[in-house]
Amino acid sequence: MISLQGIEKCYGADRPALADVNVEIGQGEFVFLVGHSGSGKSTFIKLLQREIYPTSGVIVVAGQNLVKLKNWKIPYLRRNIGCVFQDFKLLPNKTAYENVAFALEVIGRSKHVIRTQVPEVLRLVGLEDKLQSYPGELSGGEQQRVSIARAFVNRPPILLADEPTGNLDPATSLGIMSLFNRINKTGTTVLVATHDREMVDSMRKRVIALEGGRIIRDQSRGVYGHGD
Amino acid sequence: MAINVGYFVKEAVTNFHRNWVMSLGAVITIYLSLLLVGVSLAVGSIMGDIIRDFEERVSIQVFIKDGAATEDVKALQAFISGQELVKSVGYTSKEEAVEKFREQWAASPEILEQLPHNPLPASLDVELVDTRQVETVADTIKASELFLSVAERPEEPERSVSFGEGMIERLFAFTGMMRIASTVFIVLLTAVSLIFINNTIRLAIYARRKEIGIMRLVGASNWFIRTPFLLEGVLQSIIGAALAIATLTAMKFLLIPQLGDMLRFLPIAFSTAAMVQLSLIVVVAGIVIGLLGSGLALRRYLKI
Repeated sequence: MISLQGIEKCYGADRPALADVNVEIGQGEFVFLVGHSGSGKSTFIKLLQREIYPTSGVIVVAGQNLVKLKNWKIPYLRRNIGCVFQDFKLLPNKTAYENVAFALEVIGRSKHVIRTQVPEVLRLVGLEDKLQSYPGELSGGEQQRVSIARAFVNRPPILLADEPTGNLDPATSLGIMSLFNRINKTGTTVLVATHDREMVDSMRKRVIALEGGRIIRDQSRGVYGHGD
Repeated sequence: MAINVGYFVKEAVTNFHRNWVMSLGAVITIYLSLLLVGVSLAVGSIMGDIIRDFEERVSIQVFIKDGAATEDVKALQAFISGQELVKSVGYTSKEEAVEKFREQWAASPEILEQLPHNPLPASLDVELVDTRQVETVADTIKASELFLSVAERPEEPERSVSFGEGMIERLFAFTGMMRIASTVFIVLLTAVSLIFINNTIRLAIYARRKEIGIMRLVGASNWFIRTPFLLEGVLQSIIGAALAIATLTAMKFLLIPQLGDMLRFLPIAFSTAAMVQLSLIVVVAGIVIGLLGSGLALRRYLKI
């Protein structure tokens, strides 16, 4: 589902943000991407979204070679990738329902599809009674659930999360992680970049550890690790 | 796609509303530019009519002395008719000349009543194929022997051959200058309109950068993101164009009749057909300005 071969990414003349990265992630896998700030996690995620271009190497996501992908095809790639961020990226002047519906509206889904799928996905994330609440009226965990609902409403085969629990307390984080787990159970490939040690250790999923832009460990059923 | 049309229009109107001060600025500049384009075109069209009218009136009159032999006059007429550049040669007798004069000065008949005898000479009226060649033909006539034998004043051939010397050239020079000045104005104002639209769209993009980010994130197509901004630019242009057309129409009905009254000797008119054509040009020019302005802004500020 996701394949990176010989990836290098340099921003300036400095040492590369990512170097010699080779990763294969299969369909339906749940993967943690761990490492300190500046280890290259965000660069990794941005490469997969085709926000940025690798300096060298080949990236294949959902069957598309991103290096050769035409610019006008990028939106169609992104419809296959749900994204969740630390800062939620919700529109404050839209309700939870409208925020999720917006994602379907702008890719041209019909009103009928929106009316059936939005309440369904909000029920999935446990917010069926908060449809008409604005982000300002929701807790951090609830806002992140809305953003996960938005990422998942289009049923993408891949879900990327960049520090999804960075702003949340441990109990809430646990809830978010179990939500990712449930989404993963539907067959969706989930990749979570995080430095939340407890979360990684408790889930026992595949862990890819980055340091200084290089992969230092790739372990199935792994933990955060002591040296990391 | 039916829902999308509604979405686009809604977004464009919302943006217009949100940045209404900048939008107003853009609308006013577009309005002024289009108004100037319209006025220049209208003035050009009216001037063109006037020049054409003058050109059609350009003919050569050859004055014949009283008592010239009819066969000599006929021979001269045949000679001139034979020229390549001449369309036709008519003959106006002394009586016809007076009659014409009387018609032209119908308002003051006393001028003629005071004359003891008919002072007007008979003449040959030469119509030309191309009025620009008037001088060549006049010179040919002046140089001919036949002419000298019947001319009213053979000692001064210049005064027996009359045409609107130099007038057409001066008129052309004047309208040419007008055209250059208005072109420069139009280009400048168009540039200003483009800059204004550019700014308005940039503000609109800035105000909605979060939404745009999310739209990109969830895979909205580039055209889906761009279209509301393009529509906003076009909306501003259409409002500007409508105002310009309204002003031009008001000018047509209020100003042109007054001008016509003041300058009776000039055929000043602007037909409804010309007005419709002008409005179409203004609308199309407006839409082009709107699309161009917002298109340029999108290229610069909206990295999709």
